[in-house]
Amino acid sequence: MNSDSYIKIENLSISYEEDDGGRTSVLKNISLDIKRGEYLAVLGHNGSGKSTLAKLLNMILEPDSGKIYIDGREITDPSMTEEDVFDLRKKVGMVFQNPDNQLVATIVEDDVAFGPENLGIEPNEIRKRVDDALSVVGMSEHAKGEPARLSGGQKQRVAIAGILAMKPDCMIFDESTAMLDPLGRRDIMNTIETLNREHGITVIMITHYMDEAARANRIVVLDDGEILMDGAPAEIFQRHEELKACGLDVPQCVGLVHMLGEQGIKIEGECHTPSLCADAIAEALKKR
Amino acid sequence: MRSIALGQYYSVDSPIHRLDPRVKIVLAILYIVIVFLSANMLSMALILGSAFLLVALAHIPVKLVMKSVKPIVFIIAFTAIINIFWTSGEGDPLLDIGFAQIYKEGIVNAVFLMIRIFVLIIGSSILLTYTTTPISLTDGIERLLGPLKKIGLPVHDFAMIMTIALRFIPTLMEEADKIMSAQKARGADFTNGSLIQRAKALIPILIPLFSSSIRHALDLATAMECRCYRGGEGRTRMKILKCGTADIVAVISIVAFGAAVICLNVFFA
Amino acid sequence: MAKIKLENVSFLYGKGTSYCKEALKNVNIEIKEGSITGLIGHTGSGKSTMLQLLNGLAKPAEGKVYLDGEDIWEKPKEIGKVRFRVGLVMQYPEYQLFEETVEKDIAFGPKNMGLSESEISERIREAIDFVGLSPDVLSKNPFDLSGGQKRRVAIAGVIAMRPEVLVLDEPAAGLDPQGRDIILGGVFKYREKTGATVIIVSHSMEDMARLCDNIIVLSHGEVVLNGTRDEVFAQSQMLEKIGLAVPQITLLMHELNARGIIVDNGIYTEEAAAAEIARLFGGAR
Repeated sequence: MNSDSYIKIENLSISYEEDDGGRTSVLKNISLDIKRGEYLAVLGHNGSGKSTLAKLLNMILEPDSGKIYIDGREITDPSMTEEDVFDLRKKVGMVFQNPDNQLVATIVEDDVAFGPENLGIEPNEIRKRVDDALSVVGMSEHAKGEPARLSGGQKQRVAIAGILAMKPDCMIFDESTAMLDPLGRRDIMNTIETLNREHGITVIMITHYMDEAARANRIVVLDDGEILMDGAPAEIFQRHEELKACGLDVPQCVGLVHMLGEQGIKIEGECHTPSLCADAIAEALKKR
Repeated sequence: MRSIALGQYYSVDSPIHRLDPRVKIVLAILYIVIVFLSANMLSMALILGSAFLLVALAHIPVKLVMKSVKPIVFIIAFTAIINIFWTSGEGDPLLDIGFAQIYKEGIVNAVFLMIRIFVLIIGSSILLTYTTTPISLTDGIERLLGPLKKIGLPVHDFAMIMTIALRFIPTLMEEADKIMSAQKARGADFTNGSLIQRAKALIPILIPLFSSSIRHALDLATAMECRCYRGGEGRTRMKILKCGTADIVAVISIVAFGAAVICLNVFFA
Repeated sequence: MAKIKLENVSFLYGKGTSYCKEALKNVNIEIKEGSITGLIGHTGSGKSTMLQLLNGLAKPAEGKVYLDGEDIWEKPKEIGKVRFRVGLVMQYPEYQLFEETVEKDIAFGPKNMGLSESEISERIREAIDFVGLSPDVLSKNPFDLSGGQKRRVAIAGVIAMRPEVLVLDEPAAGLDPQGRDIILGGVFKYREKTGATVIIVSHSMEDMARLCDNIIVLSHGEVVLNGTRDEVFAQSQMLEKIGLAVPQITLLMHELNARGIIVDNGIYTEEAAAAEIARLFGGAR
């Protein structure tokens, strides 16, 4: 096994039983290698199996077949004890879609303390972790506030702090911005980037928003339970037609470059963000 | 967003607000016992005075306290009247209206009872609901009952249920509000019609609210599991309740207060 | 004549409590019959309140709301009729489903209108067609459907009332591109077929750019921009200033201008941008 691989998935399959007794495949023989410190976006339309993948990584679901290794430990090993399960859940934290359904306590700092308390950590250490986590997500001033009075984006940041206080190596965001407004989404995206860049946390972001996926280092596109594409954002967005075919949008800038190409104007290089695209256009203008 | 005040908690900083919730629960119980021990004019005056002292110490506006007593004025008056007519005394009745007599003892009893109920309500709400958030009250109860875990009582689970209930009250209230608006937008009518019609009109609200509560519960359970929750065992707490000097002073004061009431009862009987 | 007109409308929240807040301040807008109007603003800008004022779920503290030139609060007892004429689809409407079959749920509104059985069943069929569902879902339990399907059933429940004005609060929130296209397409079709006026709230500027004739921007309870799509998107700096998401294409235009490449700052569609950039290259080859 590769030394810097953090999560390794081998031939993973899972299906669920239908009401009529038949089985529907959700993930079909998936293999994936996620490196330590990576910022990975998992892209796919609803029902493509992306949320199921997240639940498998956190041992909320069990696969039909295949293996998952986290930090060198096989989590699909049937001999795992309850203790092992908690040890792994601590390492891989999950942030879900609805912030309301993740917060347990009526005071922000008590909620952030919930995870570390479950781990049986010393009170003084918990205090320190809670303060640190709230400051990373920029919610220190709301420490004594009530979650019910916060905006969606703020609640979601508290939920992130709650995971962060458990000191995970990796965090999975399962459509964590889907219920937020643009300001809330921007906050969460910036927070995720900080976690990855400054705190070395491996990030797996499950989303169907192209602009969010474009900010990752690597994108995996799931379609009907299979990995359709896997690569850097620039590579993925080259495959304009295929993305559209599986019900996904491409960033407007990519669409534009594609459209220009059809008119015989060739713009080369990465162009999935406005600033990259402007650079590429400027470059093409110079060459003309 | 609609704001929902939970309980009666009044957010100021006062010596009583700062007391340990466990101590406050114990104090409230002792206070109730002492109030019932008082048996003569002098000790009655003392407990009445103590109630005003509590209000002052907790920095709660008198107006607010009176407002909370208002709904029970009727009950106090009703019990007082029953007492007046039901108590028979040794001397001649003060008033005889044929089927009922009023004795001096009856009036005294009624006044004592009124003061007791009045002080009871004020004392316990000052010590508990006005000055303690529901969450620290739950916390205090969990820790006070902690020893009962040893005999298998699910004290932690009970406290966790309370905490989550408190946490979700505002969320569900807001949701109920939204669902109601949505059904009104489709022409639902909750105000007109017979009682049965109105009860039926609630179905379009109750079913979505119920299914949404279940959804919240399932999601929350998953999220809690992901945050390594597995019941009370092996759990630590960030906030450790510590009894400080103020708590000790409070306990000593209430004991002294109890002793004073007993003395007054005994020596001025 | 304007289909809907708000005249000096103000609305207060939590009147008489310490949380009292002015949700809308002196709002004046007119919405043209048969138009699609986009309403933009971030959380707390007053847009949800505005939607509730349009169908009489909320009553303005001051000012008047007119529907076809008539004050909707003229006869408060008949406000129910206004709600049938101005159909409101709230946010995450799938959470309001309550009946045991899809058919019964969609029938809830039309039944409250007192329509006949045959009329109701005709409207149900028409409504599910608009939202792209097949008639065999009618007998299903709505709780067994997928999230996107539930959303479509809920929208059909409002469309079945055949409102003259269809108001939708973030109808595509949380859906993937496919789900979003089906719903927005259905709304467009409803407008085309019935000539209804549509008012739609969305956070997605790309959707707004594609769908709306007019756009109203709210910020802190006030109307800050109100005009045609072109007029509003020309003010992209203003939109960014109030913290709204500007279409990526518009951002690209800003980036190009910042690099000394002079292009029109008000462009918001891929097509217009392609034409503008083709111009820089001396036209298409």
